[in-house]
Amino acid sequence: MVVALRLVSVIAFVLLWEWAALVQISFNFPSPWATLTALVALVGSGAILTATATSLQSLLLGFGSAIVLGVPFGLLMGVVRPVGRVARVYLDLLIALPTAALIPLVILSFGINILSSAVIVFVFSVPFVTMNAYGGVRDVRPRLVEMARAFDASGPQLFFRIVLPSALPMILAGIRYALSRAFVGLIVAELLLSPFGLGRLIMASRSMFEHDRMFATVLWTLLLAGFALAALARVEGRLLRWRT
Amino acid sequence: MADVTAAAPPPVEIVVDGVSKAFGTVQALVDVHVRVRAGEFLSVIGPSGCGKTTLLKTIAGLIAADAGRVVVGDRIVEGPGRECSVVFQDFALLPWATVQKNAEFGLLLRGVPAAERAERARGVIAKVGLAGFEQAYPAQLSGGMQQRVGLARALAVNPQVLLMDEPFASIDEQTRRVFQDDLLRLWSEERKTVVLVTHSMEEAIYLSHRVVVLSPRPGRVHQVFEVPLPRPREGAGVRATAEFARLVDDLWKILRKLQ
Amino acid sequence: MPDVRESDLGRTGLIAVGGLLIVWEALGRLDVSMFVPPVTTVAAAWWQLLGNGTLTRAAASSLGSLVKGFVPAAVLGVAVGLAMGRFATVRHLLDGWVNALMSAPLSALVPVLIALFGIRDTVVAATVFMFSFFVIVVNTLTGVRGTEPSLVEMARSFGAGEVALFGRVYWPSALPAVMLGLRLGVVQAVKGMVVGEMLISLVGLGERLIYYGNTFLIAELYAVIASVLLIALTASQLAQALDRALVRWK
Repeated sequence: MVVALRLVSVIAFVLLWEWAALVQISFNFPSPWATLTALVALVGSGAILTATATSLQSLLLGFGSAIVLGVPFGLLMGVVRPVGRVARVYLDLLIALPTAALIPLVILSFGINILSSAVIVFVFSVPFVTMNAYGGVRDVRPRLVEMARAFDASGPQLFFRIVLPSALPMILAGIRYALSRAFVGLIVAELLLSPFGLGRLIMASRSMFEHDRMFATVLWTLLLAGFALAALARVEGRLLRWRT
Repeated sequence: MADVTAAAPPPVEIVVDGVSKAFGTVQALVDVHVRVRAGEFLSVIGPSGCGKTTLLKTIAGLIAADAGRVVVGDRIVEGPGRECSVVFQDFALLPWATVQKNAEFGLLLRGVPAAERAERARGVIAKVGLAGFEQAYPAQLSGGMQQRVGLARALAVNPQVLLMDEPFASIDEQTRRVFQDDLLRLWSEERKTVVLVTHSMEEAIYLSHRVVVLSPRPGRVHQVFEVPLPRPREGAGVRATAEFARLVDDLWKILRKLQ
Repeated sequence: MPDVRESDLGRTGLIAVGGLLIVWEALGRLDVSMFVPPVTTVAAAWWQLLGNGTLTRAAASSLGSLVKGFVPAAVLGVAVGLAMGRFATVRHLLDGWVNALMSAPLSALVPVLIALFGIRDTVVAATVFMFSFFVIVVNTLTGVRGTEPSLVEMARSFGAGEVALFGRVYWPSALPAVMLGLRLGVVQAVKGMVVGEMLISLVGLGERLIYYGNTFLIAELYAVIASVLLIALTASQLAQALDRALVRWK
């Protein structure tokens, strides 16, 4: 029943798309079939795979650094309260700030290259990684800390046996949310920078009026992000099996 | 002040006639027969999982029986009816509404005009001892006071039948005893038919005319236990009498065999 | 959703922000990098842009798109969330899409919007809508689904019908979550506004960002970034004030 309803909604979406292409709601609005054909061609020629590899490079560089720097810093904020209180203010501002506004600044500082889009990915994702690591430490149940203290646990023991495992679910949730933000940043950066990656493929197709290729690339990008997020969610589920 | 009792219709009888109910593969009630006399205070007791609450909700029309029927007064129960009010174990108060608005809620749903609603609610709020708390929110009240609001809401619609689902379960012992006395006083003033689900033997004996003992899994009527204590019981030191202790002990002997 | 608790810009906040500005000013005066202009220079640039109308014109266009995108997103988002919360059929039809699109990089769809609408500010409003719609739906849905079953049962025991149940129990009980959705949604909406404007590079503050970036006007660039931040903070404060006004009982 549930599966049937979900299937119905997917079919309805494809039909709607088909209809939109049929009545030409805009010039050069490709049909689902044309988009799929273009996608197959793009995969076949390898163009989309090269672009994906380039994009993933900056994603991994930026998102990886966000985790490597953000998690420890968030933990530090949680453990050393004065650091937390002050850094929290900047984090709140960074989270509220439409990060895309920083892109021109990043481009000016780092030039038009992969490093630039990696930095943008980093700026998009690091506030969420940090904030959740901090929140995770802050939300450790005081009862557990008390218990460990009663057993005369040392500082490092307290941190590694109680604080870190308690904070883990929130850290992982932050990482997953940050990945979705990282993709947003990556795409915006590439659409603006344009000389490489999936963004370039999208913009180039658009300027050549090859709308089927453009739609195909957009679809591919959304699927890629969806796949990456689902994979991360699976890893998360594995690591947090004790929660069930 | 509005006289809530003035228009009170006479209490009615409840007949539970061969009711069975299953949830999936779990048989909650099997062929349950109970007759609650008009104006009687009846308790239902039994080990956890014996279907006491299911029985109460079936009478309230919140759960449909698989077999058998429930008759309240001259109405065959097919859904919630106007004769019955329910008092819930977890109070079920609207957290966003004041005491006044919570007490008015049943009247609101039944289309009573605003002015009359407000007046009747004020009356029952005073009756349950919460005068002065009309504008408080549930979160600002203790558990005992919250349940008084639940009781006020139930009484505001002036029901002939009051159905109470472990109303004192999450209230501390001292508060509970005071509340029980108040409930007895209200009952003697209003003469409603009351069905009370409880897991406390003392409570069942202190409050009721009769106690229905349900056996667990599946729930059946195991025995109907008479409580011949004289009324009024409130404030009369009944709990301290040897008779009371003996009745509790007798009830315990029945229940122990069911465990 | 990450832990985005209400920010309390109390004394710590003032000290932190003040400290940052002072250090920034000092670094700017020392001329460590062309990308760190003194705060005072940025303030002067901001004042000048405000005076010659550049900033007000751009902001007016931006806010117009923000309203045109966010209001429909709020109305439709709440409506869809309520329908999904109350009717299992609607929920199963839509939850796959909502969950997927909630975390999808919707910025990739902006070129599609451009293909649909052309290079016009409608694209910005549509981007705002896209960015804020799903978080509003999800929070509303969560709110409705989180309604205490005992409250529903209580209302039913007094004979409440579907309409009364909805208006008197489900809606008020979902309201705090709806308001949270709107708060998160409006922050997302401002992000959508900036992304949309930067990508069509035609009007609004987003276009100014691109322009000052391309022309190396660093102080002006910072002035626009500060304005965007100001709009985001104001919007979120407004949503918070509305939340407090409507949900007083918490």
